Amino acid sequence: MKENIVIIGGGIAGLEAAAQLLSLGYKPIIIEKSDHLGGHVAEWNCLFPDMTPARDIVSSLAARSADANIFLNTEISFVNKLKDSYNIMLSNGISIITKIILVTTGFSVFDAAKKEEYGYGVYDQVITNRDLEHWFNTGEDKRVNDCGMNAVGFVHCVGSRDEKARNPQCSKVCCITAVKQAIELKQKFPDAMVYCFYMDLRMFGKKYEDFYISAQRDYGVRFIRGRVSEVSENIDGRVIVKAEDTLSGKPVKVTLDLLVLMAGMVCSPDSTRVANMARLPVDSDGFLKSEDNVADIISSPKEGVFYAGACTGPKTVPETLAEARAAALKVHLYIKGLE
Amino acid sequence: MRERFLTGYNDFVLPFVCGMIFVLAYCIIGMTRIILQLPAQDRKRFFISLVTPKTFFKNVKDIFLKCLIHVDLWKRNKLLGYMHSSIAFGWFMLILVGHIEVFLYTSNLGAKALYYPIFFRYFVAETESTMKGSLIFFLMDFFLLVVLSGIALAIIKRVRSRLFGMRRTTNPSFLDLVGLYSLWAIFPLRLLAESFTADISGGSFLTKSLNYVFTEFLSNHANMLPAWWAYSCALGIFFFVLPFSRYMHIPTEILLIPLRNAGIRIVNARKGLAKAQVYSCPSCGLCIDACPMVVLKGNIRDTTVYLNRQIRRNNEARIEEISDKCLLCGKCTAVCPVGVEGDKLRIAQRSVRKYSYSPDYSNISAEKEAMMCNKFVTAPNNEVSSADNEKVLYFAGCMTALTPVIRKTTESVLEKAGVEYEIMDKDGGLCCGRPLLMAGRQDQARQLVEKNTEIIMASGADTLLLSCPICYRIFRENYTLPGIEVIHHTEYFERLVLSGRLRMRRDNTKYVYHDPCELGRGCGVYEQPRNVIASAGVLVEAARNRKESICCGGSLGSLTLGFDKRKAMTENAISNLMAGSPDRIVTACPLCMSTFSRYSDRPVEDIAQVVDRTSEAGKL
Amino acid sequence: MDFGFKLSPSSAINLDKVDLSRFEKLHGIEPDIIKCMACGSCTSSCPANRFSGMSLRKVILDLQRGREKEALGMLRNCMLCGKCTMVCPRGINTRHLILSICRIYGEDGK
Repeated sequence: MKENIVIIGGGIAGLEAAAQLLSLGYKPIIIEKSDHLGGHVAEWNCLFPDMTPARDIVSSLAARSADANIFLNTEISFVNKLKDSYNIMLSNGISIITKIILVTTGFSVFDAAKKEEYGYGVYDQVITNRDLEHWFNTGEDKRVNDCGMNAVGFVHCVGSRDEKARNPQCSKVCCITAVKQAIELKQKFPDAMVYCFYMDLRMFGKKYEDFYISAQRDYGVRFIRGRVSEVSENIDGRVIVKAEDTLSGKPVKVTLDLLVLMAGMVCSPDSTRVANMARLPVDSDGFLKSEDNVADIISSPKEGVFYAGACTGPKTVPETLAEARAAALKVHLYIKGLE
Repeated sequence: MRERFLTGYNDFVLPFVCGMIFVLAYCIIGMTRIILQLPAQDRKRFFISLVTPKTFFKNVKDIFLKCLIHVDLWKRNKLLGYMHSSIAFGWFMLILVGHIEVFLYTSNLGAKALYYPIFFRYFVAETESTMKGSLIFFLMDFFLLVVLSGIALAIIKRVRSRLFGMRRTTNPSFLDLVGLYSLWAIFPLRLLAESFTADISGGSFLTKSLNYVFTEFLSNHANMLPAWWAYSCALGIFFFVLPFSRYMHIPTEILLIPLRNAGIRIVNARKGLAKAQVYSCPSCGLCIDACPMVVLKGNIRDTTVYLNRQIRRNNEARIEEISDKCLLCGKCTAVCPVGVEGDKLRIAQRSVRKYSYSPDYSNISAEKEAMMCNKFVTAPNNEVSSADNEKVLYFAGCMTALTPVIRKTTESVLEKAGVEYEIMDKDGGLCCGRPLLMAGRQDQARQLVEKNTEIIMASGADTLLLSCPICYRIFRENYTLPGIEVIHHTEYFERLVLSGRLRMRRDNTKYVYHDPCELGRGCGVYEQPRNVIASAGVLVEAARNRKESICCGGSLGSLTLGFDKRKAMTENAISNLMAGSPDRIVTACPLCMSTFSRYSDRPVEDIAQVVDRTSEAGKL
Repeated sequence: MDFGFKLSPSSAINLDKVDLSRFEKLHGIEPDIIKCMACGSCTSSCPANRFSGMSLRKVILDLQRGREKEALGMLRNCMLCGKCTMVCPRGINTRHLILSICRIYGEDGK
């Protein structure tokens, strides 16, 4: 049980894997570049489809993995391949020799300012899904006007399924996140009109369809099939959104008090950095490449390097957790094989 | 001097004489055809320009400086310039001095005038009257040496073009090679031939010395005639292949220069000026290095030099492919030493394409459109807008609708400066017509020009402000808007800063300015944006800038280049901008901005954003 | 003769009878045409939409359904401005696609 296990990334994947490894008797090392654990989930408010508070998930994960060696505010300076192990140099000067690396570097939220036509950072009423969660958590965002919320729009697929944004694949979770956030906004502003502009609605998960039906039936969220192509501003500072209602075949125009951009998932630059240092291959979608996308998504082609979570592609929270557990088991079996 | 032969003739002159007559006849016929192909109006204009003293002197000056001295090449690279001018000017002087010699020393020329100036040394022996070769003979040898040095450089250039500032050169066609080798052979053979006769006909430091040094071989007169034959044959071969090789540029450029000075534009895709340009192409290949598409090796064959070659061969499939692929950035035109307009030539090729369906805009009511931006006419009782206050009509353009930050910051700047303005395309106006023009659909473009003219004239504005260089170019070149000043926002901002209506706060941010193709090369606006940026921060320059700025790769000019094919071009253009390690990239075109920001690792802004961020209202 | 009623042709599209030979030709030149996922970005940014109801999304669909007349009618006011190329999330070269349609399909029906 002396084997070092290095987990790169203290998001939910890293924490869950660490918790599982701890219960198997190992003492993993978690390296986290920010000052807190939990990654993106820690910034979220509630999780679909049961509105589970994200805080609960993160705190229970943190509690279960508290015995691991955790380095916060720490980055990896370089990785050297030794004969049958890796030498990892950390930014705090510590160097670790290990035979096992578990990459849980996760994803980045697409920078919505890159879609210039939506005016993120230009118009005061345009925010992203992440900004909205921040507002749910703190209630602080000057862009969200508490009193005069008459109409809100959600733009799906911002930076997803978009070759112009250099991200042609689907980010998987934005559709259901938009439904969730639309419902939450409707709960806060029952009189507001809420529109979702989508290309295709992908309600693939457990209870997602129910959630969608509830948004339509119980909350009156309007779904418009058409991608927003232009956003402008009118004289009184509200934003005008133009799209085509492809089902009626007519262009639609609507004036909104708040426009929420559902920024998608892209491979985090940290994953790419780690991949470069450890010479891990990158797949055509920009995420890390697994040994096999069907049978063995948690193994990298390199000996002793494993993946868990969104570093190999967009994933939901339950999928990530399941993968983390699988990875922990894989690591355990790998160590057994070494002995 | 005295004649060596009574007849004054030898069979060896035949190859040269036949070649000479062939080339002269070919050129005269070709020139006449090109002039006849010009539209009647242009032809008249051309003839008038030939006899107008101003253009006449300009023609003479241009022909001397461009065809003989190659000043443009000197500016680009000294070695390249010397190579070309030594051959062209040296050869010209050999011919000129040769003629002077003939007229000084012989009489009763007759048909001999055709070849005596070339083969003078063979036919005439030296006497006392030649000052022992001190002047004319010396000049002849001197210029022969000049040409030989040029030929030597040309040979070196074929192996090491980088010494001459060229990364890539053109792949010559078969006849180009024949022409090339015969041209290289002409002057060494002349040296050899004249060295044989140097002890009879005289010579100077070159020929005479050679004759002394290799006296064993060179004073054997049995070898003399073959050398002269070879010299004449080299000339003959060169002249016979000239019309079918790149060397046709030598005579054609002499026609192209007066055509250009007469202000004639390309009308027909293959005739008239277009033809003159195509045949003026010397295949030097400067356009290959200039072309932004060449970062992908597969596009080398789609540069202007190959377009010219394919047009000469009438290879329609390739002409279409090359014409449609081009980004129309105009850089090949900017660097071309003879003035082939690669972009306009391509637009002309696109314009002859046959379509079975053509858009038509007669159903669009200009009056209705004008209603949306008639602020200046509907408020006649508005006393605030005094006569001296400009009435600015701001046409943001189609592309700006997709980069709303430009429109928003431009409006903010206008408000700060207290400018009275109205937006022409609040609700999506009409297109300016430039994209149609670029696609070669001139009739459709003209219709849009008419509609927009009507809208603008009805608006009551006196200034038309544009933030898109694509629009700006067509408004400057193809619109007639009496009483309305057309201005790009870079120029307008400079004016606001200079007049004190905007006060800029300067900081230490390092900006690099990217010249958009249509604004820089297209409209010649280089300084104004730089002045504005320099008043906001530190301006650094790109490795290649101004006239030689590299297209962002997002141009509307290309019809066939797909989105994925442009990435390498954009990345190349960005790395060019990084030369001065700037903090921010500034441009003045919505298309450049969105193209760059897709791949750039640092912020990309429009100049309006910079001005908005760093300025405050000045005194009015 | 007025019977007080009219026989109107069925508005259904009979895919068995649609002549797709010209579409196949178009597809040969513009293979990207079938990448369209009908998001409608092109339509909503199109400046010609106000005048001729231009919707490239519909044009692409109509051509595949044999409704060529309707498609060409929409193209009437296309100004080739390139906004649709800019916004297309699938990176389709819409300007060249429109030019190809104008070359292949004609009002004369040839």
